[in-house]
This record gives sequence, C-alpha cells and structure tokens, in this order.
Amino acid sequence: MKIPYSWLKDYVALTAAAEAVAGDLVRLGHEIEGVELPRAAVQGVRVGLIRSKGPHPDADKLSLLKVDIGEAEPLDIVCGASNMTEGDKVPVATIGTSLPNGLTIKKGKIRGETSCGMCCSETELGLAAESAGLLILPKDAPVGAEVGEFLALEEAVFDLSITPNRGDCMNVRGVARDLAADAGLSLAPHAGEPVAAESGVGKPVVGIDAIGDCPLYLGRRIEGVKVADAPAWIASRLIAAGQRPVNGIVDVLNYIMLDMGQPMHAFDADTLSGGVNIRSANDGESFKALDGREVKLADGDLVVTDEAGVIALAGIMGSEPSGVTDATTSIMLEAAFFRPARVSLTRRRLAMVSEASMRFERGIDPAMVAEAMQRATRMIVELFGGRPGEVVVCGDAFYGQAGRKLECSIGRIESRLGVAIPASVDEVLVRMGFGLTREGDALHVGIPSFRHDVTIPEDLSEEYARVIGFDAIPAILPPLVVSSPAKSERAVHSAVQAGFVQVVGYAFIAPAEQRRFIADATSDIALANPISEDMAVMRRSLWPGLLKIARHNLNRQQPGVALVEQGRIYNKVEGGHSETDTIAWLLTGEMQQDAWHGAAREADFFDLKGAVEGWLSARGLTGRFIAEAIPGLQRGQSAKILVGRSEVGQIGRVDAAIAEDFDIDRPVFVASIELAALPSGKRAKFVPLPEFPSVERDLVFLFDRDVVAEEIIQTVSKSGGRLLSDARIFDRYAGKGVPQGKVSLGIRFALQDGTRTLTQDDSDTASKAIVAAVEKRFAATLRA
Amino acid sequence: MSDIDAMIAQLESIRQQAQQDFAAAADSEVLTALKVKYLGKKGELTGVLKGVGGLSVEDRPRIGQVVNTIKAELEQVIEARAAELGAQADAARIHAERIDVSLPGRVMPRGALHPVQQGLDEMTAIFDRMGFMIAEGPEIETEFHNFDALNIPPEHPARAMHDTFFLRDTENGEPMLLRTHTSPVQIRAMQRFVGDGHEPPLAVVAPGRVYRCDSDVTHSPMFHQVEVFKVDRDVSMAHLKGVLQYFLSAYFEQEVPIRLRPHYFPFTEPSAEVDIGCVFCAGKGCRICKGSGWIEVLGSGMIHPNVLKSVNIDTSIYSGFAFGLGVERLVMLKHGIPDLRLFFENDVRFLRRMGA
Repeated sequence: MKIPYSWLKDYVALTAAAEAVAGDLVRLGHEIEGVELPRAAVQGVRVGLIRSKGPHPDADKLSLLKVDIGEAEPLDIVCGASNMTEGDKVPVATIGTSLPNGLTIKKGKIRGETSCGMCCSETELGLAAESAGLLILPKDAPVGAEVGEFLALEEAVFDLSITPNRGDCMNVRGVARDLAADAGLSLAPHAGEPVAAESGVGKPVVGIDAIGDCPLYLGRRIEGVKVADAPAWIASRLIAAGQRPVNGIVDVLNYIMLDMGQPMHAFDADTLSGGVNIRSANDGESFKALDGREVKLADGDLVVTDEAGVIALAGIMGSEPSGVTDATTSIMLEAAFFRPARVSLTRRRLAMVSEASMRFERGIDPAMVAEAMQRATRMIVELFGGRPGEVVVCGDAFYGQAGRKLECSIGRIESRLGVAIPASVDEVLVRMGFGLTREGDALHVGIPSFRHDVTIPEDLSEEYARVIGFDAIPAILPPLVVSSPAKSERAVHSAVQAGFVQVVGYAFIAPAEQRRFIADATSDIALANPISEDMAVMRRSLWPGLLKIARHNLNRQQPGVALVEQGRIYNKVEGGHSETDTIAWLLTGEMQQDAWHGAAREADFFDLKGAVEGWLSARGLTGRFIAEAIPGLQRGQSAKILVGRSEVGQIGRVDAAIAEDFDIDRPVFVASIELAALPSGKRAKFVPLPEFPSVERDLVFLFDRDVVAEEIIQTVSKSGGRLLSDARIFDRYAGKGVPQGKVSLGIRFALQDGTRTLTQDDSDTASKAIVAAVEKRFAATLRA
Repeated sequence: MSDIDAMIAQLESIRQQAQQDFAAAADSEVLTALKVKYLGKKGELTGVLKGVGGLSVEDRPRIGQVVNTIKAELEQVIEARAAELGAQADAARIHAERIDVSLPGRVMPRGALHPVQQGLDEMTAIFDRMGFMIAEGPEIETEFHNFDALNIPPEHPARAMHDTFFLRDTENGEPMLLRTHTSPVQIRAMQRFVGDGHEPPLAVVAPGRVYRCDSDVTHSPMFHQVEVFKVDRDVSMAHLKGVLQYFLSAYFEQEVPIRLRPHYFPFTEPSAEVDIGCVFCAGKGCRICKGSGWIEVLGSGMIHPNVLKSVNIDTSIYSGFAFGLGVERLVMLKHGIPDLRLFFENDVRFLRRMGA
C-alpha cells in the first residue's frame, strides 16, 4: 500500500524526515518496500491536452497525436496507447526528460513519423506497478503545468507491505495510529458531522438473508448528483497511492477506503429494480463484473441482489450494468461488514482481487461502517451536489463493537519474551486503542473493534514486543537438549569422493521422459497445477533428470560427465503414495582426456560398475550384478544389483535411441540404488594381519564367449580348498589365436595359511583341483 | 740381481700395471674382472708368490710383506675406483631419468558436493552441535499438516501467499499437495514425540525440499529449507535470539549482527523477520542490501499456541520457538552466488568451482 507522507500528516503531527519515519514503521512491523520521491522522478513531465488524434499511416496500433503543452505549437507525438481521445489531458514527457524507468525522451521517428515527446502511463511515471494505457488527468489540470506540481507530488510516498493480520493498517489513519502511539503524539479524528436526510428522497429497501456472512449493511440514496471529475487534491492523492481516477463518485469512495479503511460501493440507483437483498448465491448463477469478466458463482458465495439478479459480489466487485457512469444522476451508496472468511474463499476460488476484497478479507473496523457512510455522503454532496436520503441500517447496528476482553498474565508475557515489561509501556498500547488495567500480575485488556488479530495473550505479547522493540530482547542461548545421536545418512558423500559431481534436479519431470524408463503410467503422481507440461509428474526415476543435466553439460564442451544425485522418487501406491530416497549415477564421455601420458578413454559399463562397487564397499556392503533386461537400458549391457538376496538397484547403458531423445549421441551409463532397500553394512571388525606370505598362481583357460565370470570365480573359490584367499580374472582376450565363439580368460588365485609358509605342493594341489573343476563345469580347456 | 730383487721388481711392475688398469676400468664389471686378475686366488700377485719357495728363509717374510703392502694398496685403489664408477653410473642414470616436472599430473577424478548439500550439511551440523535432533518429513503432504495444523485455516489470507502445487488425485478423499515449507515437519515431529509418550524438551532441525508454483529469476519451483524449533518449559524470545545469533555467526564464520523486525506468520506469535548485517559491506550499505546495511534472511517467532494445541502439547506448561530459513538464500549470501537458477542448472563447471 502506498501512502504519501502528507496524507499521514493529516492525522499525526510528524516532523521527522521520511527515512526516519520509514525506520519507525519497520520497527513497528510494517515492512517498507521503498520510500519514493515521485516528483523528483518526473521532472519535465507536463500536462498536455490532446488536440487531435489520427491513425498512423504505417502501423495499426499507433496513433498520431497533436498535443498542446501550452507552447506556441502543439507537439507531434506518436503514441502506442489506445485509451485516450481528443480533449483528454495526459502527462507528456518532453524531450530530454528522464523517466523513473531509466528511459530518456529523445526526438525521433517512429515508423517514419516524427515524435517530439511521450505520453505516459502511471507505470512510466513510477506511480504504479502496472497500468492499462495512458494516465488520463482530470479536466481541470492546467495545460503546460508540471505534472508533479499539479498532482502535488511534493512529498515522499511510503510503499508499505501490510501483513495479513493487520487489516486495521490497510488505510492511512490506521498506520498513522501506530506512528502516533509510538511517538507519543495524538491522533486527529476524522473530520465532519453526519449529513441529515432531505425529505422526498427515496429510501432503499434492504434485506439480509445471509446474516451470518453479512451482519451489517447500510444503504443510502443520493438523488440529483452531477457526476464530474474529482478535484485535483483527491485525484493526486489517489494517483500517488497507486490508483487511477475513474469518476468523481468512485474516486471519493476510493479515497474514503484508503483514508479510513471502509470499502464502499455506489450503484446507479436508476439501474436497480426493487429492493436489495444480501444472500448466498445459487450454484450456476452468474453476473458481469465491473472488470468485464463474466463470473460464474457457486453455492455459498455472498451476493448483493436486486429483483432482477446479482448487482455485486459482496465485498469483491460490483456488476458492470449497475455501476456509476458520467450519466448517473441517482446513486445508492453501500457500506457494510462482510465476513472475512467468506470474502476470502470466494475471491480465491474466482482468482479475483480488488482493493475492497483485500480489506474485507483482513477484517475491517465495524465501528467505521456508519461513519464512512456519513463521510461519503458529505463529500459527494459537497462536490457533486444531490440530495441525500435516509440511511437504511440492516442487521446489527452495533455489530462487533461490544468490546472484546482478554485476561493476561504480565509474568507469562515476560517469560515468553524473555524481557521485563515496565508499566510505562502500557501507555503506548493505550494510544493504540487498547484498554489496559494492571492488577498485580493480572492484566485486563479491552480490545478495540479494529484489532481482529488480537484474540489470545500471545497476541498481546506481540504488541508489547513491538512497542518495547525486538532490540531490547536479550540473546540467550537456551540450555542444551541432548538428543540421541542418529546415524547420519551421507550416501552422496562417498560418491562425490569417488569423483562424481553431485547435482540437484527438479522432483517433477515431463510425463514423456518418465515413459522412457517406466512404461506404465498408473503409478505416476501428477500435479494438478504444474508450472509447465515439462514439470507435470513427480519423478519415479532419477535417470531422466540426470540425462537432461548431462546434455546441458555436454552441450557446454564438457568432454565427459560423472554425475550423482540423491533424492526422492515418488510412486502412487495402494491407498497413498511412497517417497523413496534414491541415489543415482550417470557416466558418459571421456573418463580421461588425451594427455601426454596416455590417450583419451571413453567411459564404459565397468567404470560405472566400479564406482557403484566402491560406493557399496564404503558402506560395508558387496553387491552382485546379474544380467537382466531393464526398460530403457540396452539389452546385454544392463544388470540388476543385488545385496544379499534383495534387489537394491539397477545399472546399465542407456538405450541409444533414448539417449538420442535426450540429444546425447554417445554411450551413457546410469545406475541407481534405493537407499532404504540396503541392509545396514557390517561394522568393520578386527582380523589379525597374516604373518606368512601368500603365493599366487595364474591359470589361463579357453571358455565359451558367453561364460559368466562370476560363476567361474565361484567355481574356483569352491574348488580351491581351504587355503584359497583370493581369486580374480586378470586377463581377458578374444581375437587372433582364439577360436571364434571362444574367449581366453586368465585366472589368478592366491593361497595363504595363517600358520606356515606354503610349499610348491600346496599350490600344485590347489591348481589341479581348480583346473579339474573349471574344465568340468564350463567345458573349458587349459591354455597355460 | 738376486732372486729376491728380481721378485720385488716383478711385483712392482704388477703394481704399476694394475694401477693403470684399474684407473682405466670403464665400469664396475671390468673392475671386478681386474680385481680377479690381480688379486684373485689365481691372480698375478698370488702367482708371484709361487716362486717364493726358491728364496731363503730370511727373504721369505720380506717378500710376504711386500706382497701384502701391494695387495692392501691395490684393494684401496679398487675400492676408490669402484666408488668413483658407482657415482658416475648413478649420475648417468639420474641424468637419463630426468623428467619435466612442469608436465601436468595425472588427473584423479574430483567430485563435488552440490552447494545446497554443503549448506544443508553445514547448517544441520551447527544445530547438531547445539543438541537439536535431525528429522525429515514427507514432501507430499496433507492440507492439515501444511496449513491447518499450522494455524492456517482454509480462508486464511496467508494461504494465498503460498503458491501451492496440488496433486491431481486425492488420497483417501483428501487433497494432497507438495509442501510449501518445512514447517509441517514441526507438526509431524511433535505428533510423533507426544504420541510416543514423551514430554518436552524437544529440539529439532528439519532440512528438506519445498515447492512453490512460482518460477522466475528469483523464484524456483523447488528449493530447500531448514526448519528449526524447540519446545520446553520457559522457552522465550530471548532464547530464539540466542540461537539465531549463534547459528548465523557460526554459519557465516564471522560475528554477524542480527536484527529482528515484527512481522506476521500464522504459526508464530510474536513473529519476527530476521535480518543480518550485510555480509558484503559490513553494514555500510551496498547494492546487495539496497543501501540498508541489512539483509533479510529468515522468518521466526514463538510457536503459536494453536499449533502446540493441535499436537496436544500443554500450552500452560510449555512454549517454543521456531524458525525456517531458505537454504539457497543463505548459500548465495555466504558464497556470493548471484543467481538462484545456477543451483538447478547443474553446470558442472559451477558445481566443481563451488564444491569444496
């Protein structure tokens, strides 16, 4: 919310510099987005009168304007906006002017037509975050005057971010109240006396069916008004506050809302038929809102209706046909209290926001409803004439004004804040509107009607904290709570030590990417409102994300990438969903680049397998890799990973076609392990170091090409006798000298005895047994 | 010339010849052969001694003495020559084996922890030291845990401030969502703790991923938070400040001033936004802190009694503080990372550079 400093001064005699006031506001809990000096920013922008408007010969969306800025000749200006007509007054940035958005105006040609300035919107003047078209100035704006002067932008404007609990500060007087209380200054009352009804003026008939959602509704007719522009002092404050003048009546009501927090509405009384009723909408009912939207209503939405139908969505927006226009002569003013939750639910469902709904949602001051009605009447009658009728009050005239009470303990508040509260602080709260009586430790509190946020003692503790200042609270370390040390899960760390770079991918991916590795979509968890189709389902595999990251990096000249990610995968399961912590690797490209000591080497399956084995071994586990067809992986280069008897993961080469889908044209290897599926590793146990040396022997056999190495090692281990301490494949050769369909494998085994040095006999015996077993089991032949 | 004189002359000529040969020996193998030739069992010196039988008894010892002297002398010469040759050979080998030490070393693959992971590790470690228990919770959450139990009923304006991702399907008739903050872990941890029959104190740090359907330069639809809370007798705002002060200084590895500003969160009362003195300009005012000298880092407060009540903790006995911080934001501040999107782009050049 934007508040010009001068407006605050209507209510409290502040003298400090704007920056100091901003600091006080922050300390009181009102976040400051910025303090702006609009006038300085729009030096050189002048009031221009549009003398003529014609089409641009070469561009449909541009117009050629002749704009009078009080000089001998009108300026030629090419303008892209469409909301202005001949006779309108608009802000014109003249040549050489620098606008708040950094643009400096130069004479130039736009599509061949000379342009000697720029007509501006509120956004371009830095007065509002967004705007539609040019800012149309009031008719009485003097042609040629500096716009900053005309709009009285002489002072700082505070851009405040009011927290949702402080509905009472969604208006100038509410903010002024906090500042006055804090500074020990008095708060000026709203000016003016009630305006008496004149005779012969009609009286609205009002009924409330939905009394729970609308406990109080005031209506009043004013007849014979002559709608005109609001005077400059109102228009300029509205503009400085970021609002656009509409017409005099609407502007007055907006002014009152900004000033005292009561949103009001004016209907063109001649468009209404019969009495007004505030009721719940019926499912399927609809109405055309002021912003032009056709709004579909649902059961429970609160609407203001006449006999013909909906004339307003209560507290959110009026209907277009019943709105006040320049032709309006009779109006019905509405001031009401609508239940915050009702307004909030409806406007959220419909994704509508209005200045009124923002205030009703947060809760307005019920004591202000009648006062706002009187003030609006007076301002309208003074400015636009007309004869006011009687105020019709429907519902509970004293709604919300009974004065809620709260009992607190000073000691408890002090213990929650960790600081003592001197009684002198009470005065500040009293100035904020609270009624306070101390009685020993007991504190009796009367809560003002505008503080809907204060309901429990903790709320009052916050008021005290604000007043004392959070800086006054000491910093004390609480006594330690020693919790049982949990085993920390540091899965990703050992993978990183092995040379992999950890990445963090999004948890949602494209359904098509999911399908690459998981054909069946039934366990997909889809988002109802994804950011984009590329992020529409929760991932069930980390691989698609890793592939995208690999592509990103390969496209940036990385010769190879080794990635690891730890994160959850998500599956729909019977009656719910699962979130499974998973680690996954991706390896592609060069393991080693061409170097003086060796040629480049492309990563292969065994590089990744080695990494996974190393990772398991760091956790005290040994994995078995068993060939298996896995969706998305290349047949013959994929395996499931077993630890003990349970499958914990998968590894393999990504199918070339799928890699291609991810724009990767080289072999890519991936692996993944579900962390929860892993047994906890064995804690390392001490074993004495061998005192006697081991002996090694090599045996080379010819095998069938499809032999499984793991089975050979199993056979060697079983047949090698009790002294066998190690066995492994140390050589593999298929090529010249080895018959087609065969492979030569070298097996190195080691024997060791903890009690003696081994002899030739020992290794001969073992050798013989191994050769016999291997030849028998695999139909292999010994080569050496 | 007597026999003895002739023998002595012969010995002398052997000595001279041997010395010449030894000096000329090109390598240790030649030297070894020469040693055998002159000093071996069948060597030339020994050969001369064979003629000793023809000498008188008085002359025999003399010859023996001469032979021993020459033998000792030659042995010394050999040893010296051997050492000389050995040194030469070493020098030759060392010269031959010289390398260019400026050639690059063989690269051992170096991995990197993601900067967010580093941040999470560092942050949780600080709270671990302070005795907080580490807890995690589900990312797919119910409205109850994400909102209602945290004192955010359906019509609450604060719900609109959380741009929530909802799942397309309900579970057991309940709408499900991706948690918008790690605060639901507060609820789950307390529910479980109380459900297991424990009484406070309870101090928890809960790191994790959170989601908001918002994506632009400064917003990522997925990011990380760390939720911290403590419930005990007499927990006060002063304790909150103490923990924040300790944590923020420990994380930034320097004494950072902190400032609490009143704010509003539905699940805390009182609530405070926490600023730190700008770590880039030491509070003097710079571009990063927009000249204010302060940078907003997290939201905090005293746990709202409605939250404690929702998990059956007796608010007449216990109170608590809580705060939640954005991990990426703190990591960006600590390491001067300018753009949130870098974290999720996963460019390995960036990750390697940041991955200590």
